[in-house]
Amino acid sequence: MILFLEQALNGWALGSLYALFGIGFGLVFSTLGILNAAHGTYASWAAIVGYYVVERAGLPFPVAVGVGVAAGGLLALAVDQIAFQPLRSRKAGMLGALITSIAFWIILDSLAGFATEQQSLAFPAASFPSGMIDIGPMKVGQLQLIIIAVLIVCTIGIHLLIQKTRLGTAMRAVGWNEVAAALGGVNARMVILLTAFLAGATSGLAGVLAGAATSNVSFTLGEGLMLKGFAAVVVGGYDDVRGTAIAGILLGIIEVFVAQYVSTALRDGFTYSLLLIFLVARPRGLFGSAGFVRA
Amino acid sequence: MIDRNKLAGMGAGLLAATVMFGAGTAGAQPAAGEYVFGFVTETTGPLAAAGVSYHRGAQVAVEEINASKWIGSGVTVKLSEKESGSDAARAVQAMTQFVADRNVLAVTCCILSPVAGAMRPVAANAKIPLVFYGATLPGLPQPPYVSSVVALPGPQEVKMTQLIVDKMKPKSVAYFVNADNEGFQNRFKAAQKVMEGAGVKTAGVVSILSADTDFTAPATQAMGMNPDLIMVWTTQTPAAGIIAALRNRGYAGAITASDVIAPNAVFKKIGEPLAGVPFPIAFAAGVSSSPEAKAFADAFQKKFGELPDTYAAQGYTSVWYMSQGLKSLSGKANREALATALAKVGSIEHNVYGGLPMVAGQADVQKALVVNWSKDGKVVAWEPK
Repeated sequence: MILFLEQALNGWALGSLYALFGIGFGLVFSTLGILNAAHGTYASWAAIVGYYVVERAGLPFPVAVGVGVAAGGLLALAVDQIAFQPLRSRKAGMLGALITSIAFWIILDSLAGFATEQQSLAFPAASFPSGMIDIGPMKVGQLQLIIIAVLIVCTIGIHLLIQKTRLGTAMRAVGWNEVAAALGGVNARMVILLTAFLAGATSGLAGVLAGAATSNVSFTLGEGLMLKGFAAVVVGGYDDVRGTAIAGILLGIIEVFVAQYVSTALRDGFTYSLLLIFLVARPRGLFGSAGFVRA
Repeated sequence: MIDRNKLAGMGAGLLAATVMFGAGTAGAQPAAGEYVFGFVTETTGPLAAAGVSYHRGAQVAVEEINASKWIGSGVTVKLSEKESGSDAARAVQAMTQFVADRNVLAVTCCILSPVAGAMRPVAANAKIPLVFYGATLPGLPQPPYVSSVVALPGPQEVKMTQLIVDKMKPKSVAYFVNADNEGFQNRFKAAQKVMEGAGVKTAGVVSILSADTDFTAPATQAMGMNPDLIMVWTTQTPAAGIIAALRNRGYAGAITASDVIAPNAVFKKIGEPLAGVPFPIAFAAGVSSSPEAKAFADAFQKKFGELPDTYAAQGYTSVWYMSQGLKSLSGKANREALATALAKVGSIEHNVYGGLPMVAGQADVQKALVVNWSKDGKVVAWEPK
């Protein structure tokens, strides 16, 4: 029973990373209408920048998290303005943006490889909360608890931002129709910039935390998060961060339990079968709007 | 006081001279000139850390061979590098370019066995000598054109496992293994066979995938089996991550691994959790005691500012092996003659392993070491507690 509970918590923490990344990915898709293949690189770069803040500058981990999050956001902003804004102004559509994002994915991945000298790096264990906490008979990692808490805070915060604030209303309006929103008095350009930054920062946060939790800061970090984060968005629903959070956690728990009690070889098969089932049976996901379709 | 680097250089020169005269091949010598060996590098991509080591080892070999005129007067060798990033398609593309360049006499390549497998037919069809410096899947050599200077890891690991049984006397073992890597599956099964043959129970097998990066759950799973020993038979990134996760979760029991945790970069990344974990290895700069090994370690440190790891030794050996074949030729060397000469090599004369027989194009290191990382980041001989 203890093993079951510990693994459930391991899955929850792992899934929280998928969800945190997925929230940023989903924001870009639902608001900007871009299926951004380069999104994983924001997480990789945030982790790399965070690592160098700790390793080279000798600054504490919380500062590394802050700088990494800012780096993820700024990178997303730069990619949006360089890659997607020209396409947006020409009404190039989703396919053009997807192809462009693939090009940026390759470029940013290659640059990340050079930044890490093609190696997998790791935050020094003493630099972040890497100890264990006893909760009854269970042993739980401090960082795992932090990751779980961070997801809860981010999910509630971003949900409230989107649903309860003027900025959120503007984001939803731009997501439905950019021109109509502009005619209604929304500064669409500013909303796009803020959304891109927020999405990059959220995924950057997932990247820094994942880099510390897995002892893997490398150009491959974002790729793993990308696939699972995408699955979380599809299963949870593109336009609701609560769905992404719940779906991400479920994916993490399912992954861990399938590996523990069934077979590691079947683990990813289960995950992607679930994705396929949702795409076929409930394409809007757990919480997605019934009529949500990106043009 | 005599400068340490000069002393190392003199030592290397003396060694080279000893080997040269000891070989007794003063009569045969290829025509003077510069001979080119193609080197398919893997200094980018997922295995770049190891790829850099292979390449650096090869560079040291070239410098030693040319400086000592080991092949003959006026005969030098040179590396021509093309990058593959551990990608089979890029490796084959590099190979076809080497084949087209008639200045390239032989090619050395490949860390991954699937990449090596893709290169093998290209070399055999083009009739160009191909020497593997990293791939370890049995059956890759195909004399006379394809050979491997990498000893198969199985026998070394079986020896270490037997040593573990004798010294640590575990009653139960949990194994980590790559579910998606046939080579490591075989290595795990060989170790399990030794353990079960000695009456050591299998507490359980935890499978992971090569692309995995989070090992918290697998570590929890293995610890839940309450084994006396955990053996890690996985590729490098998972092995390092698994050991770190086990120690971070408070596992204080015994762990063993394979030589994938040998590179300096792995200790630099993971640090103290690796200390005390035994692994078998053919070459370790601080432990290998032959004069050739010491000279190589000194030359490598002088050039790159750090001690060579086992991968550097393999890159180094590959160039010495090709040069040995070249040295045995007379007149203007060509690919076919070099392939024939390499197929006749019974042992690689200049090596850092204290002897390196070649059997049907396959190297066979007989003196495996069992070592571990110390807390301060040195590879030292393993001493069971």
